[in-house]
Amino acid sequence: MPLLRPPTRALGHLKPSIRRHRAAKRHIRTLSTAPVPTSQLQPHVEGIPLSMRALYGKKTHKRIKAIPSPPSAHNICPTPLATITASQLSVLDPTGARTRLFAKTNPDAAKVGDVLLVRFRSGDPFAGVCLNIRRRGVDTAVLLRGNLTRVGVEMWVKVYSPNVEGVEVVQRRERRARRARLYYLRQPKHDIGSVENLVRQYNRRKAILGTADAKTASATAGKKKSKKNRKL
Amino acid sequence: MPPRIPSPWDAHTPRLLLPRPIGPRQSKRGIKSIYPPRFNRFNSGKDLPILSSTPEAALKRKEFTIPPRTGALATKVGMTALYDPVTAKRVPCTVLQLDRVQVVAHKTVKKHGYFAVQVGAGSKNPSNVTRPLLGHFTEANVSPKRFVAEFRVKGKEGLLGVGETITAGWFKEGQFVDTRSNSRGMGFAGGMKRWGFSGQPASHGNSLTHRAMGSAGASQGSGSRVLPGKKMAGRMGNKRVTIQNLKVLKVDEPNGLVVVNGAVSGPKGCIVKIQDALKKPWPEITVPPVVETAQPATV
Repeated sequence: MPLLRPPTRALGHLKPSIRRHRAAKRHIRTLSTAPVPTSQLQPHVEGIPLSMRALYGKKTHKRIKAIPSPPSAHNICPTPLATITASQLSVLDPTGARTRLFAKTNPDAAKVGDVLLVRFRSGDPFAGVCLNIRRRGVDTAVLLRGNLTRVGVEMWVKVYSPNVEGVEVVQRRERRARRARLYYLRQPKHDIGSVENLVRQYNRRKAILGTADAKTASATAGKKKSKKNRKL
Repeated sequence: MPPRIPSPWDAHTPRLLLPRPIGPRQSKRGIKSIYPPRFNRFNSGKDLPILSSTPEAALKRKEFTIPPRTGALATKVGMTALYDPVTAKRVPCTVLQLDRVQVVAHKTVKKHGYFAVQVGAGSKNPSNVTRPLLGHFTEANVSPKRFVAEFRVKGKEGLLGVGETITAGWFKEGQFVDTRSNSRGMGFAGGMKRWGFSGQPASHGNSLTHRAMGSAGASQGSGSRVLPGKKMAGRMGNKRVTIQNLKVLKVDEPNGLVVVNGAVSGPKGCIVKIQDALKKPWPEITVPPVVETAQPATV
């Protein structure tokens, strides 16, 4: 029946081309080459299909030039915290006296174990033994332990706070403390107790000598009490 | 088969039936655009409301909380305090330093579906930057950056020019900012430290289990399984933390310093994203910030 042709018949005209293709393939498969030294090998561009040739070209990358970096903020301001602190201290402590009083480099600085008197802009002064000095730039603070109504009281005083009018050394410790923090002074065995008498004596002496003569007073008082009348 | 010479007959043939072009095929890479969105006959017509699940609706909804201008990347330097010499009020503060912050690229609605400014900070040795990334930086005419982050902006007006520098003066004293940074990593932490579990008693017959988590859940009643999201021991910290509404106390433009009130999450030296506070009125920047205008490179 001519109307019911097999469906493969429609593709029949492809047969010769498929056969030719197969023949070509066999030809490639049986291709043999004589050994050629690697030094003489040539890029076989002819063997590469046209569509792939671009991929086999010489690899040339255009060099990307990096833009040079602008100056680093770290070079301009390597220690930002010190910069901020310095700008603060120029206002809070223009003479630098308080910085010197608690500087580690200053041999005459206030040390732990000294009795300090802090006078505030508002309210009563507070005196006590210095247990700890916390050096943190503008946040520098000292821990004082004194007595109020016979009760041991400790107080952290921010040294650079504008509320603090002055810090005075009432009495120096006889020998340098061998600890950085004298927390053992909290124990009843070591507690110094009230420093009221020391402060009273100190105030009396100061009144006699006068604040103007503070320098001579400190000179006469000897090395141990050299900073005694320093008003900061 | 050699390539056929196109005949005038080919001009009218559909492209599909024509022989394929010769040469290596170029694959397109990159983010697929969602703009314009696909046509949908159910979603187009006159006087139809914008559907709430479309990108346009999402952009409109978020417009209120997206800042009009970009933020900046900064390094956390550390904490200190500022004193008011008159009132003697002490304010704890965090110092942030802006280091070579430059605009690297833009994200646009047309191409990416949203508006954002890609900002880079710091610097990197060019030999340590991959070629594609180096090209990205060089095209923007900026040096290779160590940190790159995106800041979403409301509209086209917020796209600060590519290659422009953001200095500390970008922020105004007294304005409020939000900071985002990764918190300090605590490592593997138990339930007590990580979630504040109360642990178990020290005595009353307890033996060797004082900091244990206890039970992870009920048995049959709740399915004899551990419910998803159960708080357990694991890696703690090193997660992004946003601190909102920090007041800018001080700006030191030549040194690149921005001092904000209070604490910022993360260790010293960590990278911090600063942007105008979402929950405060946008700052009124009257004077346009001084920026170095760089000509975009022609690559």
